[in-house]
Amino acid sequence: MIFNSLTFLVFFGLVMALHYAPFFSWHQKKINLMIASYLFYAAWNPPFVILLWISTVVDWWAAQWMVRAKAERTRKLWMLTSVVVNLGMLGYFKYGGFLMDNFVSIAGSLGIIYHPPGWDIILPVGISFYTFATLSYTLDVYLRRSAPAGSFLNYALFVTFFPHLVAGPIMRPTELVPQFEEPRQARPNQIFFGLALLTLGLFQKVVLADGFLAPVVEAVYDAHGKMPGMLDSWVATLAFAGQIFCDFAGYSTSAIGVALCLGFAMPDNFRFPYGAVGFSDFWRRWHITLSSWLRDYLYIPLGGNRHGQARCYAALMGTMLLGGLWHGANWTFVVWGGLHGLYLSAERWLRARFKGFTPGRAALIGLALLTFLLVNVTWVFFRAKTFAGAGTVLTGMAGMQAHPAPLIAFGPMIIAMVIVSAILGTHLTMRNTTLEAVIERTPSVALAGIWTALLFAVIIEQGQGSAFIYFAF
Amino acid sequence: MHSSTSPSERGLTGTRDGALPPGLRKTAADRPGQAQPVPTRDVPLKPWARIGTAVFCGVLLLTAAWEWNARANLGLRAGDIDDSPQAWAEARRAADFAPVAIVGDSRILFDTDQARFQAMTGVRPVQVAHVGTDARALLEHFANDPKFHGLLIVGMADTMYFGMPVIGLGGTAIHNYAKNDKPSQLTGLWIDRWLQNYLAFMDSDYRLSIMLPKLDHGWRKGVDSPYENVWKISEDFPGRQFFMWDQIERNAYLRGHARHAWDGFKGPDIPKSVADKVIARSAEAVRRIRARGGDVIFVRPPSAPQLRVNEQKRIPRALGWDRLLIGANAKGIHADDLPQAQNLVIPEWSHLSRRCAAVFTDAYVRRLVQLTGRLKLRADAPPPLSRADCVPQTIASR
Repeated sequence: MIFNSLTFLVFFGLVMALHYAPFFSWHQKKINLMIASYLFYAAWNPPFVILLWISTVVDWWAAQWMVRAKAERTRKLWMLTSVVVNLGMLGYFKYGGFLMDNFVSIAGSLGIIYHPPGWDIILPVGISFYTFATLSYTLDVYLRRSAPAGSFLNYALFVTFFPHLVAGPIMRPTELVPQFEEPRQARPNQIFFGLALLTLGLFQKVVLADGFLAPVVEAVYDAHGKMPGMLDSWVATLAFAGQIFCDFAGYSTSAIGVALCLGFAMPDNFRFPYGAVGFSDFWRRWHITLSSWLRDYLYIPLGGNRHGQARCYAALMGTMLLGGLWHGANWTFVVWGGLHGLYLSAERWLRARFKGFTPGRAALIGLALLTFLLVNVTWVFFRAKTFAGAGTVLTGMAGMQAHPAPLIAFGPMIIAMVIVSAILGTHLTMRNTTLEAVIERTPSVALAGIWTALLFAVIIEQGQGSAFIYFAF
Repeated sequence: MHSSTSPSERGLTGTRDGALPPGLRKTAADRPGQAQPVPTRDVPLKPWARIGTAVFCGVLLLTAAWEWNARANLGLRAGDIDDSPQAWAEARRAADFAPVAIVGDSRILFDTDQARFQAMTGVRPVQVAHVGTDARALLEHFANDPKFHGLLIVGMADTMYFGMPVIGLGGTAIHNYAKNDKPSQLTGLWIDRWLQNYLAFMDSDYRLSIMLPKLDHGWRKGVDSPYENVWKISEDFPGRQFFMWDQIERNAYLRGHARHAWDGFKGPDIPKSVADKVIARSAEAVRRIRARGGDVIFVRPPSAPQLRVNEQKRIPRALGWDRLLIGANAKGIHADDLPQAQNLVIPEWSHLSRRCAAVFTDAYVRRLVQLTGRLKLRADAPPPLSRADCVPQTIASR
């Protein structure tokens, strides 16, 4: 089920009714929420609920046995069991075909012709997200950052809680399990604000990402052999920067709003990322729950910045390359991650080289725009399905296409650029504040007008119920 | 559950009235290498109940005005339930064990009156045709489906069947079939249909993102502007019953635009070698369906002379249609060969008017029952229709 669907509206109405029904105990309400979450997930592909169960049960028991274990070696064994089971399922379903393809290619280059059996695996929706969420549970227990959850129900509900289940924010058990321990009900203000956030998220997804930006992107990135010129390549790539933000941040905002309506708090996942100055700043603002997960469970264990410069750069590159691969089983994603790794490394070196440098306001804006520009270069590898496709667009962006063809009509181009400029402008002006702070300063009449306009736009756009891009990850 | 958060952070857990100062609104990015505490969601201090009520009333008013505009000015009607990838997937699933299914492009989709078909034969065909597609892709999809043992009617527009450079929208529908057949998609489809029985504005051709770009009347040379795209030409009813939208018959501007959008079906001539490949693949698909006990009959609906001249030029009947029937060893019904189907009303030159669709269906079904033993004309079948049943008298008398 997706937030931008009529099915979800009915589902959410029923969940709210059950959650606020006076005749259910808190325990029963949690069971209701868990059943609803399973239904939410099973609405895609019912058999894949089994994977959720496996992940839930294995990690619950791994943590239990970890705590009971007396020897450090036994604790490690249980931690590894959890890691192997979770990454094993992720590897099989997400990377099985990719690994096989690469094996066949390498064997072929060595003169060995190998025809593998058919590998027709369907990727379970959101497996990357809930795998990371459950892994953080056993890893936190292993690292003694937290104790295991006191109740299986609370833990199982943490794994399956539908607002974050399929596309994040990737929650840690310490963020959510305590919220299940005591009865929670949102006050009317929280419910209305949650609905406002849900509207904002749907507007980003349905109207901006799917309605106006996606067609402009597709005109160039799915052009079937036509060569885009400089203007088209840049416009399509900038439009994709807007699309991927509105798509993903739209999901996170909707998820936060939905959870708030139920009385639960979820963490920020985006903090005006296109207003970032530098790449470390970008990653503190973009997909925060993933970048912090990678930092805590990959970068720091790989050595982080505590074992010298060389180890630090290696850890940085390793983390970003794997982070790229997390997004999809394709080398283009690895290159996307690698480019970010290089940017982060270069920034780190520059910061060390020019330690005393404090940019003024103009320099800050210039650096923010440079960051945005370079981020856009990486988006080419994220969006293009092949290196040839990425090469075509990059050649176009460099103005080196021999026989470019105009691909984007002027009207959609103008609309897309107005939207992207508005996003960029908003991020630059709001980089040091929060949406809530700005809303608090906005007159109520204006707020009502904006909310009405957003909701009305969602209604008349209707939407096609297309899935969020990150569902594929 | 223990966490390693500081006491000051622990005080800010859960939800909080009033916006937090930016410095205190922390995220996981601010807390490296530690268990993350319960996040804080601050709710701006505003009269949210009053704002929410105002928004509800405002949206209700605007939506009512939009609905009025859709009915009064655009000519849209409630009950026109729109087609969708999910509706196609639902029909495709229903066709698995159907005695008769129809595939093809938009012509057979518009030009088959399912109720007439059923009244004549007692069988309602499952409509699996798709707009903007190469029908061969759909034929092959059925050929690869071991569940199908029925009669497959393959409708075609020659240039699209023999020479379409890409498979088109039918290929996308096939590609997304499994995805669109999921419980979440189908329940969404059912709710959407229920709503469309009451709301006229819910029409995918009149979405905000479709209407706004149409302001571009060809501002950039070398690119087809959104204005040039095909606009709404059909009304869609349960069972994927498409009919020509009556506004196309009544509104000269919309009709003129629809004709313009077809661009006369102009294009390069289709080489014999390409047609040969299409025929070979079609023959293989027909062979596979027959091997399972099914059968295939091709149908070529009519097109207006303004298009037909270019279609005939690009792929003459002798090169395409006739050789297809020989190559695939299949039977076919060409509109040219049906006396009752001549000179019907084709408002935008490519698809029949709603009333003439019934006449064409009547004509081709009467021929169909002669070609296959799988269908029989019912004893109480309605009497034959003729051109006079659908062509306005002023035109018919000419």
